[in-house]
Amino acid sequence: MVDQHTIEAVLAGDQAAWDVLVRRFTPVIWAAVRAYGLSPADASDTVQGTWLRLLESLHTIRDPDRIGSWLFTTARREAVLLLRRSRGERLTADPAEPGGPGGAEHTADPAAAVLTADEGRRLWRAVETMDEPCRSLFRLMATAPDAGVRQLAGRLGMPAGSYGPTRRRCLDRLRSVLALQEAAS
Amino acid sequence: MTRHSSADDESLIAALRLACGHDPVPGHVTAAARAVFGLRLPGAATARPVAVPAPSGVRSAERAGLLRFGAGGLTVELDVDSSGGLVDLAGRVSPHPGPDARVEVRTPDLTEVRELSPTGQFAVVGLPGGWLSVVCHRPGLAPVATSWTLVRPG
Repeated sequence: MVDQHTIEAVLAGDQAAWDVLVRRFTPVIWAAVRAYGLSPADASDTVQGTWLRLLESLHTIRDPDRIGSWLFTTARREAVLLLRRSRGERLTADPAEPGGPGGAEHTADPAAAVLTADEGRRLWRAVETMDEPCRSLFRLMATAPDAGVRQLAGRLGMPAGSYGPTRRRCLDRLRSVLALQEAAS
Repeated sequence: MTRHSSADDESLIAALRLACGHDPVPGHVTAAARAVFGLRLPGAATARPVAVPAPSGVRSAERAGLLRFGAGGLTVELDVDSSGGLVDLAGRVSPHPGPDARVEVRTPDLTEVRELSPTGQFAVVGLPGGWLSVVCHRPGLAPVATSWTLVRPG
């Protein structure tokens, strides 16, 4: 995890401390924006933009525990903005920006922001308990991040138009399985 | 323990992919994230975007290239256009910050410095598409930097 010492070093201008943040959180940010279906090029811009946003908000850093969820939330917002732009919408009237990394509104950790290896294994164990086509759909979705809907649907043996609704149903089922596990723990 | 059961679709997909490790971060993305730190401007005020009202009778899409930012009593307006796959930028700082003020147009890869015209205007042509920020330096006052904005040639 990131500690107070690292944050203080970043605020003092220490590149090595910034690199610690980059190593720790860039994989989370990358996964967050790729989940919106962004191409590698768009995802690259969005990740860079997320770090630029942190740079703008550095002086508001108070709590090292909140940086991960702030970066995750900011990355998702930038991904949504990029998707909206690519649909030809205006970009000047930004939706409400998240507060600084010290803001109180980020007390809830988004799911992936603080994912531990144990939790990752637990997630996939939950997937393994599911029926088809969900199990195969999740495996494909995770292992072929650049595959298009047509390709994914083809490999699952379903019409392209069924992929989106099926994915939604499978995600809902996965949430139900996880809710049962969380209730039991 | 994180509550994945209440995560939205994209968070859950991100968590599944992160745990599976099949979509690693490209090296150039990590390198760019590291290089961002070289762009920090201690003490600068960040000018946030403010809405630009579209003139009546003009469709908003026709004003999509006009951006406005405000902080520290300054307004920075940017008109983003493109030609030949590159970005052209015309800007104006108001009120005029004084005779010794200058602006820096910054991208992660290059910085262009411009003096302001008597009307507070400046221009830079041929910028690469990507993230861009304009910094106004005023003698004796904190610099004002526009919030980083993604611009792409149309």
